[in-house]
Amino acid sequence: MSTPLHLSDLELPSRHGELAFDAPWQSTVFALAAAVIEHAFGGDREPFRQQLIAAIADQPGRPYWESWTTALETLAQTLPATSRPLRKDQRDDR
Amino acid sequence: MSAEGHHPAPVSPVEQRVAALEALLTERGLVPPGFIEEITRRYESEIGPMNGAKVVARSWVDPQYKQRLLADGTAAIAELGFGGPEGDHMVVVENTPGIHNVIVCTLCSCYPWPVLGLPPAWYKDPPYRARMVREPRTLLAEMGCPLPDDAEIRVWDSSAEVRYLVLPERPPGTGGLTEAELTSLVTRDSMIGTARL
Repeated sequence: MSTPLHLSDLELPSRHGELAFDAPWQSTVFALAAAVIEHAFGGDREPFRQQLIAAIADQPGRPYWESWTTALETLAQTLPATSRPLRKDQRDDR
Repeated sequence: MSAEGHHPAPVSPVEQRVAALEALLTERGLVPPGFIEEITRRYESEIGPMNGAKVVARSWVDPQYKQRLLADGTAAIAELGFGGPEGDHMVVVENTPGIHNVIVCTLCSCYPWPVLGLPPAWYKDPPYRARMVREPRTLLAEMGCPLPDDAEIRVWDSSAEVRYLVLPERPPGTGGLTEAELTSLVTRDSMIGTARL
């Protein structure tokens, strides 16, 4: 992981805290976006951010993490298919 | 086992979509083993408002640090070891008796992750994003942060380029407290600007 974080002696009193995620799928889709940003776009967050803006604007009342999911789905469709070529047996499987 | 044991809890449509995304992206080689767990662990246990509170408390006890913080937020925050995604262009805005600052992201949910963690649910909701620009004084009062009529309110719209952090005023009567004790006084909402200390 390339993110330069130097965190030490951290404590998080509950008064500061609020659970970041309400369900496991939310933390998963959050981390998936981080993975795409880091590994498909070299750390450039702008492509995902633009999709997120569009997804929220499209359905402003939709729950946030669902818009996030939609944004990532849309972005995933734009990824070059060559990130890692599928093996033939994987392709045939689909 | 519950009575539903024979029938596993139904997976919601969005859970199915996320599972499909995970499978697709993993297949593309974009999700190294353990990546999801590591990111989740960091954001649930390491990265949070305590980081921002340390920055604020340091600026209260060290005038030179405060000067550096207001001049170049990113660099001064990095001095304490905080930085990374969503925090590479930090601007710190200082509350004074006559000026109250508050942050918002009108387009999506830009937020200074390294110092505040992930944004609270209401920060991402349309009412906050719209009303904090249109009627900040009313909304702040509704959120439990009434301001004097003569106080100027400055609303900072976060973006991909710039993330803001509010530097709240040091509460009166805290002259004898240590930096660590001061840190514990600083709340997340005070650094968003929706609360005063």
